Amino acid sequence: MTGWARAAAVARKDLRMEWRGRAAAVTSLLTGLLLVLVLGVALGPDPARAAAVVWVAVGSAAAVGIPRITQAEADQQALEALLLYPGRREHLYWGKAASLAVLLGAVAAVVLAVAGVLFALPLGGRLVPLAAVTGAGVASLAALGTLLAGLLLHVRGRELLMPLLLLPLALPPLLACIRLTDAILTGTPAGVWPGVLAAAVAVFGLACPILFEVVVDDA
Amino acid sequence: MSGSAVLGTAAMLLLAGAVYAGLVASPPDAFQGDYVRIMYVHVPTAWTAYLAVATTLVAGVLFLWKRDPRYDALTRSATELAVLFTGLTLATGSIWGRPVWGVWWTWDARLVTTAILFLIYCAALLVRALADDPRRGARLGAVVGILGAVDVPLIHYSVVWFRTLHQPPSITRGEIALAPPMLRALLLSVLAFTVLFAYLLALRVRVARLEDVGDGG
Repeated sequence: MTGWARAAAVARKDLRMEWRGRAAAVTSLLTGLLLVLVLGVALGPDPARAAAVVWVAVGSAAAVGIPRITQAEADQQALEALLLYPGRREHLYWGKAASLAVLLGAVAAVVLAVAGVLFALPLGGRLVPLAAVTGAGVASLAALGTLLAGLLLHVRGRELLMPLLLLPLALPPLLACIRLTDAILTGTPAGVWPGVLAAAVAVFGLACPILFEVVVDDA
Repeated sequence: MSGSAVLGTAAMLLLAGAVYAGLVASPPDAFQGDYVRIMYVHVPTAWTAYLAVATTLVAGVLFLWKRDPRYDALTRSATELAVLFTGLTLATGSIWGRPVWGVWWTWDARLVTTAILFLIYCAALLVRALADDPRRGARLGAVVGILGAVDVPLIHYSVVWFRTLHQPPSITRGEIALAPPMLRALLLSVLAFTVLFAYLLALRVRVARLEDVGDGG
């Protein structure tokens, strides 16, 4: 079995478990939708604020859902078994990151669609650039989130610490997604933000798999 | 006289010199008046905060690479100093901002990201403290410290990306916009804070090593 086949097997296993329980997907999605509603009521229906509302909601939804992706490993000491399988731990990281990206991508798509209806956003005709920005934003959140889920596996109160770690560390991609989503919706220039988002994806994509091997190391 | 005692004495003398240069030898600013003297504390504090973040990054990488407990003591100490000096940077910035801008806080990117950096390093200390095993906590704390350092370039460049109330840096490459006596006071203060940082770091590392011995590590 090649490394990438192992990564795909881990991703399939995580997605199948999530499909059966749906705990992370449902709680993340409801948190995201709740934040869209609360922020919408608090800030008013101005479409100019919609991009910020969407990405704050997606970031918070991710902070709620991510601790769940290592819940099975934590509950049943299954991480040790996973780590004992032959092959590099990097592939375990990529498998978990891929399943998390699918989960967060679905949450972000629903949050964006609901915000589009509630804020009367002109989403039609802009779906391709919006999907590209959402995909890159979700990729950076998944890359960072997978590392943090592994990092907090053996820390007391990991659900409490996840937002404290994820939201500040993910600030660059979140700010970039807010500005880019706003630029797409209003037709204004994107400025430096595509570069910021690409840099966030590259930095998290390179650093997090290396650091993941350190955090799951039992030595 | 031990190395840290020499550093401590040098820090005291340099700080006394910086107080004289900042409060007596340098003139008031044409626009800000005497309030500009807060700069002689604020800018060196921010510099020291960056120095602490850089030390955390380098020591963290060395610890994860070599697994030498001495590097862990250095990472732990630098993380605590990063929290202390980012906190002081925010406090002195607010004290300077109130008379000059009329507000304690502005939603300027550099302020926000400094506050974010402060929170990240607080989280690094929390992760270290709440890990179920101190050796694992050392590794996890180092990882968060390394990730936190990723945010520093954003802080630096955000002043260029966001055009807000925060004044652009006065000292840039090849262009110095400060009067010579003010520049001398500022550089002396930066030097004094750098030596103070080295002294505090040496002291904290010694305490951390003693704690490790006490814990049987």
